[in-house]
This record gives sequence, structure tokens and C-alpha cells, in this order.
Amino acid sequence: MASSDNIIKKILLAEDDPDDVSFFFQYLGERPDLILLPPVENGEEVFDYLEKAHNGSFPDLIILDQNMPKCNGLQTLAILKNNTAYENIPVFLYSTYTDAYLVKQSIQLGARSVLEKPVSVEGYHKMINDILRLI
Amino acid sequence: MDRNIQLKNDLMRELEETRRQLYEAKETIEAIRTGQVDALVVQKGDTHQLYTLKTADHTYRVFIEKMTEGALTLNQQGIILYANSRFGEMIGMPVSAIIGLPFEQFIAKDNLSFYKTLFTTSWAGDCKGEVTLHYNESHTSVQLSLTVLELDEGLSLSIIITDLTLQKTTQRKLEENNRQLELLNHTLENSNHDLQQFASVASHDLQEPLRKIQMFSNLLKKKVTGILGEEDIAYLEKIIGSTERMKTLIVDILNYSRLSADNGEFITADLNEVLKELLEDFELMIADKQGKIIYKDLPTLEVNRGQMRQVFQNLISNSLKFSKEGIAPVIKIKAKLIKEKSITGEENINGEYCLLTFEDNGIGFDEKYANTIFSLFQRLHPKDSFEGTGIGLSITKKIIEKHQGLIQAKSTPGIGTMFMMVLPLKQMTNGQL
Repeated sequence: MASSDNIIKKILLAEDDPDDVSFFFQYLGERPDLILLPPVENGEEVFDYLEKAHNGSFPDLIILDQNMPKCNGLQTLAILKNNTAYENIPVFLYSTYTDAYLVKQSIQLGARSVLEKPVSVEGYHKMINDILRLI
Repeated sequence: MDRNIQLKNDLMRELEETRRQLYEAKETIEAIRTGQVDALVVQKGDTHQLYTLKTADHTYRVFIEKMTEGALTLNQQGIILYANSRFGEMIGMPVSAIIGLPFEQFIAKDNLSFYKTLFTTSWAGDCKGEVTLHYNESHTSVQLSLTVLELDEGLSLSIIITDLTLQKTTQRKLEENNRQLELLNHTLENSNHDLQQFASVASHDLQEPLRKIQMFSNLLKKKVTGILGEEDIAYLEKIIGSTERMKTLIVDILNYSRLSADNGEFITADLNEVLKELLEDFELMIADKQGKIIYKDLPTLEVNRGQMRQVFQNLISNSLKFSKEGIAPVIKIKAKLIKEKSITGEENINGEYCLLTFEDNGIGFDEKYANTIFSLFQRLHPKDSFEGTGIGLSITKKIIEKHQGLIQAKSTPGIGTMFMMVLPLKQMTNGQL
């Protein structure tokens, strides 16, 4: 995937916590290698977004917060991976607390990786770099 | 010839006498059988001897009077023809006053129709049933056993009455105990549920605000460095350090509380492999301390692999943490098979247990703390000299116990510490003992 290294990645973030949305956009918004799509607040909104997106204009990757109202990270992941139109979009879960159960479930359902929410600016950059390396 | 006639006459007389005796004996037997005689006079040589008879009937009468059950005989109209004294005691009436009364007079009203059914049925064959006797404000739970008797006077009904008071009391006590047990069980389930809820709250709801404090403190520190004084920055760093500590604490408590619920499967694992994997992950920390970990020929046991790895990790990180300043930590890990489940068990190559020892050359501790170090939150050192929450060894002990094993520590201050564990090679019941 060396050829795709230079391509700008479009990221869709599903996150209900306004502080976390703000951290994400504040620290990652200036990166030239990323396009941050307008954030959505839960799983249902992820599907609304994808339905409206014309084929081919899907995000390059989706980051799901696990702890969201209505449709949480794992539930959203399961539905995405069961839909042939969306199943190829790489999905990452992130959460304040990750335990063995969450990691196991997520990987089984088809997530690329599960990440712990960063606690510093450097942490955010490191998380995104790890994600970009994995897709 | 005279002699022959004489002999014949003697024999005839003897025959006559024998016939008479036989007749008498038959008469006596008949008299005894039918209960017509109470005594016999028997001639023996020159004297007579008197034999009184204790007839079978008499024996049974005594038997029935003395037994702990009540006994009645009823006629076909249900009138009491005979009652033993035990029945009189049950009712609280003299036997003489009972005879001639209808038995149903003593049956509680609610049970009357049931008794009538029993009474009717019993003439066709033996039957049993539970009723309540009611007389003079007192109620007694009894079992009735009804049997038809064919007597010379015609058919009658015998009823054996067993007092169920004791049985009922025992049953009630048993039911009460069961009810309390159920209640206790319910309480236990509730508190278990609460604990699980707590684990869930601790894992998310407590950690989310904590992470925000970490995040904003880090941001603030970045922003004010160069603007605020060194002392102010030091305060901020203390906030950041404390939140990190709190995060570790929450994660450790969570791991500890989850151990109880985790009935993960035991699998056969080569401890050499478990250790090797762990050392790869610990490479940096060990290199940082210039530590050395020596092990060889560890056994293959039935363990919960993840938990056993946790035990190794806790013990090794403890030894690295409590190493002596300026001296490279050396941890020796050894194992031998032993005969019985004891720290001092005798070595035996066919033993069913394994004695596993972790020995270090660290700062050690006073032997008097050898037991308390396994308690939750027990720390022997001030917070600022060694990091840690004091949960690690509690988790270690709990894991060993879940493996039906033993753990003990031995230490000499300034020399080093040794942890000794006994583990069975095979888990008997998959952890559920």
C-alpha cells in the first residue's frame, strides 16, 4: 500500500462527547494528510451519512467511539460489516477504557483495531499515525 | 396263652390311656387357640403344676396400649368400639368416655368430607390420609391408616392414628430455613450484581472525567509553560501525576474485581513459553534496569494462560521495582515437581504438584510483613519512593488460589525476596471447587 501513502485520507468520526470532538478537530484539523468529515454523534447518524454519500465518496476510514447513545460502537460496527456496500471501509473503535472483551469482540466483528482515547496532543497524532499505518 | 392274653389286655389299656391323653391334649390346644382358658393345670408325677397363659391376643393388647400411635376400632356406622389410651391422650379424654361416640366428631370441620371419603373407600381396601383432629380448642395434625377387620361379630374398621405434629414442625422449620436461604441467596445475587455494576461504572463513568482532567491539564501545561513560574508548573505536574496514578488504580481494582467473575478455561500451557512471551514485552523495562532473568526447565501445567502471565508479570515487575540502587536486578525462576500440596513438599519426579520459585536480589522486606503484603492496598513503601497501587500481589494471590494453589513469600532486608508457589499439574474440576 506504499502508493496510497501520499493520498489524503477522508476520516469520519462518530463521537457524542463535544470535548472529544473538539480535541479531534483542534489537533488533527491542521494535518495536510487528512480530511476530517463533519462529525456524527452516533451509529444511526453514520448510516444516514453513508446513505447520502454518493458511491465512491465514502470515507477512507471510520473511527467509532464505543460509548455512544442509540447505537454504540460495537453495534454500529456489526451493521457496517454486514452491509456489502460498506463492508470494505476500514473501521476503528476507540474508547476511554479498552478491555480484553471489547478488543476481542471488535476484532471478531471486523474492526481493524481498538484504540484507547489519547490524553495529550501527541497522543492524538500517534493514534492517527497508527491508524494510517494499518489501512 | 395266659401270658399272651395278659399282654394283650395291658396293651389295650395302654392304648386307651394314650387315646384319652391325646383327646385331652387336643382339647387343651383348642381351648388355648380359641382363648377359652387362662390357666392350665398339668399333672407331673405326684404333683400338679399351674401354667397361666399369656395369649397372643393379650400380647397384642399390651402392644397396642403402649405404642405411640393412637388405635381405634370402628363399626360400620363409624362408631368407636375400641380406643387405646394413646388416642385418649391425643384427644384429652378418658377412653371410657370415647367409646360409643362417632369418630367424625373429632375431625376438624374442613376435613370432614375428606374423612368421609376415606371412611367409604376403606371398606373396599386399605387406605391412608392426613386430617386434623379437633377437640377442646386443640388441633392435631395426624395421619390415618384404615384397615378392614373381619371379626366374629362382623366387619369393623381399625384405624391407626399417627401424630404428625413433630413431623409438621420439622417440615415447617425446614421450609423456613429454605426460605431464609433463598433470601440470603437473593441478597448475595444482588450484591454480586452491584459489584458488577460498580466494575462497569469504574471502567467507563469514572474514567471518562478522569481522562478529561488528564487531557486538559496536559493542554494547560503546554499553554502556560514559559508564562507561569516553575512552582506553578510543578503543581500542574502533580495534578497530571495524580491523575495517572488514579487511572492505574481504577484499572487495577477493575482487574481485581473481574478475577472473581472470570471462570476462564484452564488449558495445558508450557510455562517456559508463557514466560518467554512476557519477557519479550518487558524487554525495554528489563534492559532499562540492566536486569537479568534466569530460568530453565519450567513445567507444563493446566492453567488459565492469561492469569498465569499476569502472575509472572506482577512478580517480575515487583522485583524490578524493588531492586537495590546501583545493583543490577537478577531474578531466578525455578521449578520442581513435589508429592503433596505444601510449600515444603518433598521433591518427587512423579509428583502431582509443582513448586515454582521466584528469587530476587532486591531490597527485601521484614519477614513480619510476609503475610500482609498480599492484602489489598498494602504497601510497605511511601508512594513517592516506589510507584504502584498495592493491588498487584493481591491479584497474584487470588489467581494462585483460583488455581487451587498456595503462595508464600520469604525475605531478608538487603538480601532479597523469594516468592514460592505450589500449583497442581492438573485442575480437578475446571476451577469450580
